[in-house]
Amino acid sequence: MTTDEPPITISILGAGQGGTAMLESFLNLPHIRLLGIADKNPHALGFRLARLHNIPTTSHPLKLIQEDTVNLIIDVTGDPTLPPFIAEHKHSSAEVLGGTAAKVLLELIQHQTFIQTQLFQSEKLASLGTFASGIAHDINNPLYIILAMAEEIREENHLERIREHATSIYEAAQRIQAISRNITDYVRTSSHQELESIDLHARLEEALSISRFATKFREITVQKDYQNGLAIQGKPEEILQVFINLITNAIHAMEEKGSLTISTSHSNGLVQIAISDTGSGISAQNLQKIFNPFFSTKPKGKGTGLGLYNVKTIVKKYQGEIQVESEEGKGTTFRLSFPSIPPISPLKEMVSSEQP
Amino acid sequence: MAETTAAMFGGHKTNGLVLVVDDEPDVRKVVRMTLEKAGYDVIEAEDGEKAIQEVQKGENPLMLDVIISDIRMPKINGVEAINYFQQQYPRVPLIVLTGFPDMEMATGFLKKGIVDYLVKPVEKEKLIKSVATAMEKRDLNRL
Repeated sequence: MTTDEPPITISILGAGQGGTAMLESFLNLPHIRLLGIADKNPHALGFRLARLHNIPTTSHPLKLIQEDTVNLIIDVTGDPTLPPFIAEHKHSSAEVLGGTAAKVLLELIQHQTFIQTQLFQSEKLASLGTFASGIAHDINNPLYIILAMAEEIREENHLERIREHATSIYEAAQRIQAISRNITDYVRTSSHQELESIDLHARLEEALSISRFATKFREITVQKDYQNGLAIQGKPEEILQVFINLITNAIHAMEEKGSLTISTSHSNGLVQIAISDTGSGISAQNLQKIFNPFFSTKPKGKGTGLGLYNVKTIVKKYQGEIQVESEEGKGTTFRLSFPSIPPISPLKEMVSSEQP
Repeated sequence: MAETTAAMFGGHKTNGLVLVVDDEPDVRKVVRMTLEKAGYDVIEAEDGEKAIQEVQKGENPLMLDVIISDIRMPKINGVEAINYFQQQYPRVPLIVLTGFPDMEMATGFLKKGIVDYLVKPVEKEKLIKSVATAMEKRDLNRL
């Protein structure tokens, strides 16, 4: 389909699992315009996603059916009384997709969603490999403390010293626990359907602590310029994946030394996040391709070429935008924006500058 | 540290003086405990910069027998510090003690004349043996 043709206008009847999956898929397609989604249940699963993307929702399908600009009405309600009702009220030019045909389309869409999830997951697992030596380092230090202090306690009779060693062991074990928790959070598949309010800064902090594993020598300073109280809507694991990808890319681009700046702000109903590095930068030629699937400048086996592609897919899914500016030898800035939602709870004050 | 030096001048015979460079206080403490039990005196530094200051302090340039250093630290990192020590104090044997099990890096260091590349968690006996080997090398260097 060429770009100068008008978009296909679609209305979806049914906002349960099926309607939601369909909605989610269509949101990413540039030549489809959604006119609205209807469901008898005002709390239907798909309504929240629709509202996030400014797509009208209604519990009375008649208006959507009668709409004279609609090209295609998709009925995934499974309600046997609906097809004759649609036939009676729809505009003569509107086509209807229902019954088995709608089921087949849904099957395809669900299969595609499954593949997309697998793709996210495999990229996450592959990138864990680049974290391996960092994780080993961060675990081996406290492990050494635990083993050596425990050995010490076995031969120690002085109660005060035993207590001191036990405290050291406890603290070291807590550090290993935090690392383990971080990795588990990262690797977890985001399978649940519900969108959540996401505390932006908590996710950014989590991404930073995981990204610390991505590099061998940390001579990188992190500047944080956070505007408090920002929240967006999405699946926490996916948003975390976006941040981890952008932060680890930034760290890798700087190799051993540089400055990573993360800033957040809010204006016109949008939350903005900027992630800047002082690294090697991206050539103008490559800048065009960085979001393409399987495009990578990293050596074979080091990058999957799916990182930024996944980032863009996730950002688009939550009605976000992503832009990149880069100058070779100077550094790169990624700018993200998402529709803002009111924060769930007052956020903690953040430190403005610290080591990663 | 002042005590250590005083003790040494007071005729107290120890197996040697070891500088431990690591950004984690508990790691330094653990190495200190192990080495003190084996009869060594220990001084500590939390990063490469402090290590260099420590080495230059008082009688230390003369007294120091072995340096044990991590390689991932803030400020001057261990690699830079090790290069510095090798240039300035070529007679003081160096041991790397790190959380990185990195073969390539280990080979590189050993080629450059580092006595040992130890990976945390290191067994007590292995650490003591490694320091003893370094001491032998130190004695040879002194001849």
